[in-house]
Amino acid sequence: MCCIYIRESLHTEEKEVRDGGDTCMATVLLHPHSSPCCRCLSDLEFDYINPYDSASRINFVILPEFITQGVLCLIYLLTGHWMMFLLSLPYLYYNVRLYTRNQHLVDVTEIFNQLNWEKKQRLFKLGYLIFLLFITLFWMIYNALEDDEM
Amino acid sequence: MGPENSNKANNYPRPTAPFVPPQTNSPFTSSRPVIGSQPSPFTPTSAPTPPTTSPSYPPGPVSGSSGPAFRPVQTGRPTPPYGPPTSGPFQRFPTQPFPLSSQPPPPHTSPVVQPISSPITRPPPSQFPPMSNFQNRQPPIPTMPVNGVPSSINGPPMQQPPPSIGSTHPAVRPAQTSTWPGYPGVQTSSAAPVSNQGGYVAPPPTSSVPFSSHQVGYGPTPPVASPLGMYGGPTPPTGGMAGLVEDFSSLSIGSMPGSYDAGLDTKVLPRPLEGDVEPTSFAQMYPMNCNSRYLRLTTSAIPNSQSLVSRWHLPLGAVVCPLAESPEGEEVPVINFATTGIVRCRRCRTYVNPYVTFTDGGRKWRCNICALLNDVQNDYFASLDSNGRRVDLDQHPELTKGCVEFVAPAEYMVRPPMPPLYFFLIDVSIYSVKSGMLEVIAETIKSCLDKLPGSTRTQIGFITFDSTIHFYNMKSSLTQPQMMVVSDLDDIFIPLPDDLLVNLSESRTVVDAFLDSLPSMFQDNLNVESAFGPALKAAFMVMSQLGGKLLIFQSTLPSLGVGRLRLRGDDIRAYGTDKENALRIPEDPFYKQMAADFTKFQVAVNVYAFSDKYTDIASLGTLAKYTGGQVYYYPSFQAAIHKDKLRHELARDLTRETAWEAVMRIRCGKGVRFTSYHGNFMLRSTDLLALPAVDCDKAYAMQFALEETLLTTQIVYFQVALLHTSSSGERRIRVHTAAASVVADLGEMYRQADTGAIVSLLGRLAIEKSLSYKLEEARNAIQLRIVKALKEYRNLYAVQHRVGTRMIYPESLKYLPLYGLALTKSTALRGGYADSQLDERCAAGFTMMALPVKKMLKLLYPSLLRVDGYLLESSMKADVFEKVCKRLPLAAESLDSRGIYIYDDGFRLVVWFGQMLSPDVFRNLVGEDLATDFSRVSLVRDNEMSRKLMDILKKLRGADASYYPLCHLVRQGEQPREGYLLLSNLVEDQVGGMNSYVDWILQIHRQVQQ
Repeated sequence: MCCIYIRESLHTEEKEVRDGGDTCMATVLLHPHSSPCCRCLSDLEFDYINPYDSASRINFVILPEFITQGVLCLIYLLTGHWMMFLLSLPYLYYNVRLYTRNQHLVDVTEIFNQLNWEKKQRLFKLGYLIFLLFITLFWMIYNALEDDEM
Repeated sequence: MGPENSNKANNYPRPTAPFVPPQTNSPFTSSRPVIGSQPSPFTPTSAPTPPTTSPSYPPGPVSGSSGPAFRPVQTGRPTPPYGPPTSGPFQRFPTQPFPLSSQPPPPHTSPVVQPISSPITRPPPSQFPPMSNFQNRQPPIPTMPVNGVPSSINGPPMQQPPPSIGSTHPAVRPAQTSTWPGYPGVQTSSAAPVSNQGGYVAPPPTSSVPFSSHQVGYGPTPPVASPLGMYGGPTPPTGGMAGLVEDFSSLSIGSMPGSYDAGLDTKVLPRPLEGDVEPTSFAQMYPMNCNSRYLRLTTSAIPNSQSLVSRWHLPLGAVVCPLAESPEGEEVPVINFATTGIVRCRRCRTYVNPYVTFTDGGRKWRCNICALLNDVQNDYFASLDSNGRRVDLDQHPELTKGCVEFVAPAEYMVRPPMPPLYFFLIDVSIYSVKSGMLEVIAETIKSCLDKLPGSTRTQIGFITFDSTIHFYNMKSSLTQPQMMVVSDLDDIFIPLPDDLLVNLSESRTVVDAFLDSLPSMFQDNLNVESAFGPALKAAFMVMSQLGGKLLIFQSTLPSLGVGRLRLRGDDIRAYGTDKENALRIPEDPFYKQMAADFTKFQVAVNVYAFSDKYTDIASLGTLAKYTGGQVYYYPSFQAAIHKDKLRHELARDLTRETAWEAVMRIRCGKGVRFTSYHGNFMLRSTDLLALPAVDCDKAYAMQFALEETLLTTQIVYFQVALLHTSSSGERRIRVHTAAASVVADLGEMYRQADTGAIVSLLGRLAIEKSLSYKLEEARNAIQLRIVKALKEYRNLYAVQHRVGTRMIYPESLKYLPLYGLALTKSTALRGGYADSQLDERCAAGFTMMALPVKKMLKLLYPSLLRVDGYLLESSMKADVFEKVCKRLPLAAESLDSRGIYIYDDGFRLVVWFGQMLSPDVFRNLVGEDLATDFSRVSLVRDNEMSRKLMDILKKLRGADASYYPLCHLVRQGEQPREGYLLLSNLVEDQVGGMNSYVDWILQIHRQVQQ
């Protein structure tokens, strides 16, 4: 990713591309938040980890995840990527809703009852992020190529 | 496990239960040749038996062990006739003349059995009840159906209808009619051909024989009556109904001439006036199963396929009460495998149990759950006798009993077994002192010190708190306890490293001195604040070394420091909205976190709450919920009134046998998996329940699901294992094993359903639902499940039989609608804002989540007894009380204003005095003044009648010691006490917008028909 970014930016100083790269980076940053949670949850399911550790590990990354996602949305908004902003808006809304209802943290006492739902939710989020990443990448390369042609 | 096995079990006549388990199989093992001689599908089985197993089937008389009986299954399973039955279980054995379990055996069977029986007497008599017993018991069998238990397998005896069947029915009649006095009454337009199959639709009055379904099931099929089976007339029915009729019960619904209402006579509705009737067929099919007080399945017929599960709309699961009190003489055997180590399956870790089979001359045993062949350790080896039974079977209770306790060696410990530890966290703010609570508990604890389990190892400690936290140094060298006050609530620390928690026997004098001075120490305390959260943290710090039991006595809303709570729940607008459920869950995550930490360090929390104002039981109770504890709630506690109750319940809590630092796991056979658990505990992994303390009053429910689309085994085994530290300091494993057959027929599942377990599970599910949804939705969920179940059942039979507008239901589930109604009217789920106080609702919810089945049913459908007849009759002895005072339907109609009634739900007793009661009686019982305030009057008086009444109350209380039902007196027409004490609890009446029983049945029926 970085390579592309650097090479592209060497080619041109075009603003579009750099922004694309930035958002790319932000999206990539989000991934480490979702996948360890999933791994933690499946470990829990197979009894490799106790619920206390599992819950504290997951809860440790939840707020950073929410913040990064918020920042990503903000970047989209500020750089005028309206489409991308709209695409990530539902995710943001969902996170904010969880946070305001105080449901964002995993509850250690009920973790096993919520296990399936939590896993589903995180896999969905992961899919969503991959989709965003893909779009961002596509957008960036598309722009870069267009610039080259010019 | 195998088809033969289930057949053998069925084959076994019911009343022979006293047989020692392993031997029960023997008749059937040995009967093989007999069966084989007939053109039956059994023949092939013996042939393909592989060489290893063949020794276990000598053609001669056998006294088999569990081993041989089960073994053929693994090898000889594929015999085609055992394939999934298509419709009825009895069709599995189309040519089998053998009687199934609860049928009157056709006469010709006894010759078959007799030859078998004689060899059976050969084994030592100590294990084998003499066979004559077996035979002697046969004659009564034909009347067995009277017992009203839905048979396990209800097919009509196919070939030889007992000629005496007609005469059996009259014999049956009195029992039936007395049980259901009202039933014959209804005559309706639905005199459809089959109208009599159920127990509740009776023909015109002349023929007063309501044939209950199960009886019908036994009836033969004489050709005469089969075409029509018309049975509405006065002609006594022949067995004719039987062929046509399936075994369901029905209620006629629909307007009938001369009746203005919906056409449902309230008298005919089924009512559980005998209390909890457990299905017995299960226990008889598998006599080696653990007793039903430990484990009850919602249906003892396990569905064999996913599609069958999806058609069974009731919960599929079990209710486990691992430490249920066993009656005298039935103590759980304790087994010490000192040298061997506990015998367990290598792969699935199942404990050795009566259903494992020994092979290879006793050198190997096959696990009944995962079918793995394990080696028998040298120390555990015993050779097999000619029948494949271990020769030393009588010395191994674990191979004959479904419920045993193993002494666990060191590898089952992560630390040395903990001593019993009791820690008290006592609120000493003004209300505790003024209400007298402090005095009562100090007194009670002191009186229990000698009876605390654990003898010299027991540890004890105290913390009291108001706006500050008081620690007590109880070092044994002191004469008086030293009090240390910590007022820094933000940063809790412990003033002493040890001596806050002391050995009771060493520091006994200090503890005594402390308890003596406790009430007087705070009698002038005017502090109204409560630093509960910080005190809880302090208690946690003291206890986290060892674990144990923390008893919290709280009489105000926590108001200081971490975990403070605010007044909520008085907002009437929250009800009916999405925010309603938030009132029933803890407000502050602090409580959940604390509960999780407590469980982690093996601390169980029992919460005693006393306030007359809101104390947020929803939050406080969370501590008990996740630590395997219990909530005791005494609203508006006044020592003068509630003293006895608190004293009894606290004493019970302190002195009952408790298992410490326990974990529980339930294992089951391949293809079945437990998916969810309901009760007071915390899950430590997907299937491991962490229970810091367990006792006999706690039950846990769980649901299971099928993992595979089709179960290939014929029997599913369940094994509950509770690893705990006993109060004596020994690590032990309590193991309960049960087997249940797999069926392919939905009707069979319904027949073997256990209403008690179903209701218990339904209740727990509904209460859990009420924590995240509206009450309304939780109630609707119950109704929906019942409707779906009955609808499915109706579809099962509606095609074959013209059921018309009648409501049909399985005999085993006849009380389900009523219990469902009672659930929706229970304190935890009833009405809305005004119908019960939020705290009471939450406390009831926490209590119901832990109740064993019987207690739950008693709470849902309390008993109502009329006692004035008994009191007035001076000659009567106390032992006829049960005969004279019958339980009455819980409706206002049952109350006669000339009588005295006792209402008993296990948690409180209400004595109701009618308005027209004779003044003499009244004077004898409550005194001269008719205008006395009934809330304060005492029943204890020095005369015969009063003593008799006290005896009754004592007897009712003695029936179950887990709670102390406080006695309330109420006079007819005395509002509002009569309303909330009694009238709102009359389940069958229409109370506050909730359905009456009749309306409820009609509503369910309408929905079923849609």
